[in-house]
Formats: sequence, structure tokens, C-alpha cells
Amino acid sequence: MSQSLATTPPAPADAPAYNPRNYLNAEAGIASWLLTRDHKRIAVMYLVVTTLSFALGGFYAMLIRIELLTPGPTIMSAMSYNRMFTLHGVVMIFLFMIPAIPGVFGNFFLPLMLGARDVAFPRLNLLSLYLYAIGAAIAVYGMIHGGADTGWTFYTPYSTTTVTKVVPILLGAFVLGFSSILTGLNFIVTTHTLRAPGMSWMRMPLFVWSIYATSVIQILATPVLGITLLLVAFEHAFGWGIFDPARGGDPILFQHLFWFYSHPAVYIMVLPAMAVMSEVIQASARKNIFGYKAVAFSSLGIAFVGFFTWGHHLFTSGQSTLDAGIFGVLSMFVGIFTAIKVFNWTATLYEGAVKFTTWFAYFCGFLFFLVFGGMTGIALATVSLDIHWQDTYFVVAHFHFIMVGSVIMAWLAALHYWWPKMFGRLYPEGWGLVSAVLIILGFNATFIPQFLLGNYGMPRRYYSYPERFWPLNVASTAGASLLAFGFTIILVYLAISLRWGKVAGPNPWGSRGFEWDTLSPPPTENFLENPVYTRGPHDYTEAPEGAEVTHAT
Amino acid sequence: MTTLPRNSTSEHDRMEHAGAGRYWIVWALLLLGTLVTLLLSRVHLPSPFHLLVALFIACAKSALVVLFFMHLWDHGGANRLVFATSLIFVVLLIGLIVLDNASRFALTNPGHGRTLDMEPPGPDILTPRGPPEPAARPPSGPEMQPEPGAPVRPPGR
Ligand SMILES: [Cu+2]
Repeated sequence: MSQSLATTPPAPADAPAYNPRNYLNAEAGIASWLLTRDHKRIAVMYLVVTTLSFALGGFYAMLIRIELLTPGPTIMSAMSYNRMFTLHGVVMIFLFMIPAIPGVFGNFFLPLMLGARDVAFPRLNLLSLYLYAIGAAIAVYGMIHGGADTGWTFYTPYSTTTVTKVVPILLGAFVLGFSSILTGLNFIVTTHTLRAPGMSWMRMPLFVWSIYATSVIQILATPVLGITLLLVAFEHAFGWGIFDPARGGDPILFQHLFWFYSHPAVYIMVLPAMAVMSEVIQASARKNIFGYKAVAFSSLGIAFVGFFTWGHHLFTSGQSTLDAGIFGVLSMFVGIFTAIKVFNWTATLYEGAVKFTTWFAYFCGFLFFLVFGGMTGIALATVSLDIHWQDTYFVVAHFHFIMVGSVIMAWLAALHYWWPKMFGRLYPEGWGLVSAVLIILGFNATFIPQFLLGNYGMPRRYYSYPERFWPLNVASTAGASLLAFGFTIILVYLAISLRWGKVAGPNPWGSRGFEWDTLSPPPTENFLENPVYTRGPHDYTEAPEGAEVTHAT
Repeated sequence: MTTLPRNSTSEHDRMEHAGAGRYWIVWALLLLGTLVTLLLSRVHLPSPFHLLVALFIACAKSALVVLFFMHLWDHGGANRLVFATSLIFVVLLIGLIVLDNASRFALTNPGHGRTLDMEPPGPDILTPRGPPEPAARPPSGPEMQPEPGAPVRPPGR
């Protein structure tokens, strides 16, 4: 689809800035895409499949919000409702948020930023895309044939006894985990071995640093999830009794193992978002980052400390009070590294020449969601407060702010910031700003009522609620509709811009990120001549004047 | 970037000097470990030692596999660092889970020896029982009091 649209190059007379021999039209035909080893084509395929997954997860979200529009039954049965929130969680987390930014923008830009021709293992890269497709297919099979009603966390003993199709969904997530591991492995080896001459570790763009930290988590944590999900599947199928107290098992053991992955998984989602924002903020402020080393190493710090916090999900589940206290304190350490980034980003804006582009609007939204969501997270890590909020909508609103808010802001910022580089076309800036405002307002309107609902005591995952919660639920559903409307606008104008958008030069933003040094769209071999780096990224001291001016390469 | 190829060639050289004999010795040691595990399973050891000895033998065997069959013995700093890191995280996972079990309210630990022997602290909520006899029910309010001479209300109205 995008192939036929974007591979038709404009006539050179119309658009001298468009690179006519690029990765999109280097080869033609479906097979050239399905068998490609080009990291850029794999990234574009990731863009298509993760966007489809996002639409599917969003569809489930809208069904949930419509069901909660009234206190009683609205459009579905209680059982379907249980399935809907499970599928919403599984699709959004395993099929969208974990692979989206590394799969699309990590694949596309990591080699471009390092001056490499491709990732270290191009075939493995294609395999991880196929594993994603296979895992997604297995999970979708489970969804069509009955779905699951366990919630995305698959807590035992319910998940090992439910009659719904939980095993295919577990196996789907298992396969998706391998896709994630292979992507992480590829990025780590690429960063270690394929840096171009002059690209020292301290010259690496901050995007690379954060993606590198993400990859470390993916490799260390994802195997634990794989083993745990497999154990649940075996217990469900053969009754092994590992998590069954009647046979000497321990249901809380499942929660330990599950969250040993799933809390670091929050950073598998948020660190790539921070990666994008570290690039975007430098390009919008037209300044080098304030405190490069602090921002770079805080990524590794988050990756490390993120492993020491998993027990904050078990405060009320029967975990010992000693463990709960330890995990509560350790959880707050993540706030330190996040604060380092936040303060350095805002300090970067100081005396910067900020141009209010669409991607800068998303940066502002990101900062709000990260700080607001992060502060509620610190509150939730306090054991005594968590006992009040546990399993209420306060938790739902908190993790939607910190994970979903920041990931969606970063994903959209990356999409707009790098769209000219990926496809050689500009999106309409006016429509971009309109939809950015709609989405940021819609997101707040959806989840701020949920913070209030949770604080008033509305439990999560309930099918019906007392009438006094009605107005806030209507507000939340209205916000979700606004969100859906905003996403539809983006989808339409980006699709139109693929063919009819204004042709972008190699560097429409005047950015000094390394990926902008090549043509737009990049040629298959990434660079016309082997790059040699003599400066750090985003060194604006000798940058060309004016953001809209394209400088010749 | 430049150090990697040189490192791996020198490692490769060292590996070629180690003959096949070493793998046979390791293989024999692994078989010996399996045999000891099998024999020990028939010996009755006091309670914790049964598990501890089995775990010790298993760890020794996996160390042999990692060091020799997976060549960690011959490999340099980076690979050892990667392996040590992953070991630290395994210790973290197991350590904090075991700490939870050790410091938890004892009766919530499944398989706890005393769990099955102990009398439950309150009324036995696990055994299904019929509703209490009407006479034994404590008076909870004036409307609950049966009228004198009136027929006794069936329980569970
Ligand atoms: Cu967590």
C-alpha cells in the first residue's frame, strides 16, 4: 500500500530535493519487501503492523469506554467486557507499545545515526519481524476463538482454571517475547560493532543510548516472562501445580516472576519514548542537550534500577511487609533518574530558538504526562497509600499517563519529526498541530476523571458501577472519543502526504542529528559515501541558519 | 570496533590448543554428577539437605557446561562480564522472592509443614457447614427475636 504510493517519485523538475533512487523504490514487488534485509524496509513494515495493532487495541478501548458510558449493561455482557479489557491490554502492550518505537524508529534510525549500512544481523532482524507476525497471529487466533478474560496480567489461579482460550494468547505473547529479544540483541551488537569512524561512545546520539539501555532490559528480562507464561500454559493444560497452593505451589510466585519482567517492561516502553524526546528537544531548541553524559547514563540507570522494583505490584497480595517496604523504597529510585532527564530537557530549552512544530507540541504533552504520571507513581510506591489505591481506577489512570501517554506522545513526535526523512514528504503542519492539541486534550479528558474515580474508590475491571460515578465516566468516554477523532485526522493526512505532500529536502528542520546528513528518503546503502564523524550530534554552533532552509549535501 | 576481531582470533587460537580430551573429561564428570544425584535420591537425608545437595550438584554441572561446552573458560572480559551480569540478576530474582517467603506470615506459605497440622485461628471457614441452629443464633436486633410461641423461622430466609 505505502509502497505503491511512496515509490512513485515526483518528476525531478518538480522536486529536485527528492532523492529519486531510494530504499522505497530500489526494488519492486511484494517479494522484495517480504524477503528484504534492509533495516529501513523492515522498519516500514513494522510501522504498518504496529499501526494496525494500535487500531485494534484502540477499537477494544472504545468498546470498553462505550460499555462504561452507563452504570449498568450498555452494549455487551459482563463476560464480553472481561474479554475486552484483556484483549485491549494484551494488544496494546505486547503488540504495540513494546515493539512500536524500537521496531519502527530504532530499526530505521539506529544504523543511520551510527553511520552503519544496516544492523549487525539483517536476517535476524527480518526474523524478529516474522516472529512478531507469528506471535500476533497466534494471539489473534485466541481472540477470535473465545478470547481470554484474565486481564493482561494472567494472574493465577484464575488464569490456570479459566475456560476461555488463555493458552493461545499466552503462547502468542511467548513468541512475541522472542521477537523482542532478537531486536534487542541486534541493537546491542550493532552499537558495539558498527559505529562509523569517529563515532565514539560519547558522540553517540542520545537516541542510541536510550535504545541501547532498552535492549539490555529486553535481553535480561524477557526470558523470565517467556518461562513464566509457559509455566502458566502448562499448568492450565496439564495441571502441574506450580502456582496451586493445594499441591504445594504458590500463586504469589507467579506475581513475582511476572512482574520481574513486566515492571522493567515499563522501561522497555518508556525508554524509547525518552530516546525520541532527547532528539526532538535538541532539534526544537536548536541547542545541544544540557548535560549529555547525565542524560546518557540516566538511561542505563533507569534500566538498572528498574529491575529492583517489581514487588510494588504485590503490596496487597500477601507479600511480606519487609519485602513491601524494600520494594517501596527501591521504586522511588527510578524517580531520581527520570528527574535528571526532565530537568536536563527543560534546561535545554533555556535560551533556545524554539519553533512550535507538531513534534514540539508532542514534547510538551510528553513532559506533562511523564511528570504527572511519574509523581502519582511515587505516591503509589508508598505502601500505605497504595493500600487505598490498589486495583482502583487511580492505578489505571497512573499507568496510562506514564506508559501510554509518554509512548503515544513520543511515537507521534517521532512519526512527525522523522516522516520527511522516512518518506521524503512533509506532513501538513497546521493539521498536525490541530490533531496534537486534540490528542493531548483528549488524553487528559480520558484519564483525569479516572484519577478522580479511583480516588473515590471505583475499582478497576468492574462491569458496572454506582450511579454517583456516572458523570466522571461520561467525561472519560467523551475524552476517548476525542482521542479517536485526533488519531483519525493523523491517519488521513499522513496517508495523503505520502503521495501529495510537499517534497522535503534532506533536512527540512535544519536539524544537526546525524540521520539528517543523508538524502530523503535515504538510498538503500544509507549513505552515498562512508561517513566520518568529527563532531558530536546536535552541535548547532556552526549550523546553517533558518529551520526551513535545506542545506546541500 | 577495532578490538573485537583481534580478541576473537586470539581466543580462537587458544581454543584450538585445548584438545578434545578435555571435553571427554567434562562429559565424564557430568555423567558422574548425574549418577550421584540418582544414588542420593535413594538415600534418606534430613529435610533441608536433600534439596541443598541436589541443587549443589545441579549448579556444579551447569557450571561445567557453561565453562567448557560453552567456552566461557577461554573467553575474555566482555563475555564473562555479560555472563556475570545475568548471574547477578538471577540472584536478585531468587533472593528477593526467597526473602518474601522467609519473612511472610508463616501460614500463608504454601506447603508449610505446620499449615496442615495447625488448628485454624478462627471459625473454620473452609469446611462447608449448614446455617447455625436458630436457638444458637445470638440475638442481633429486636426484629430478629422470634416471638414467643411463634413458629421458628426457617434459617437462611
Ligand atoms: Cu511497576
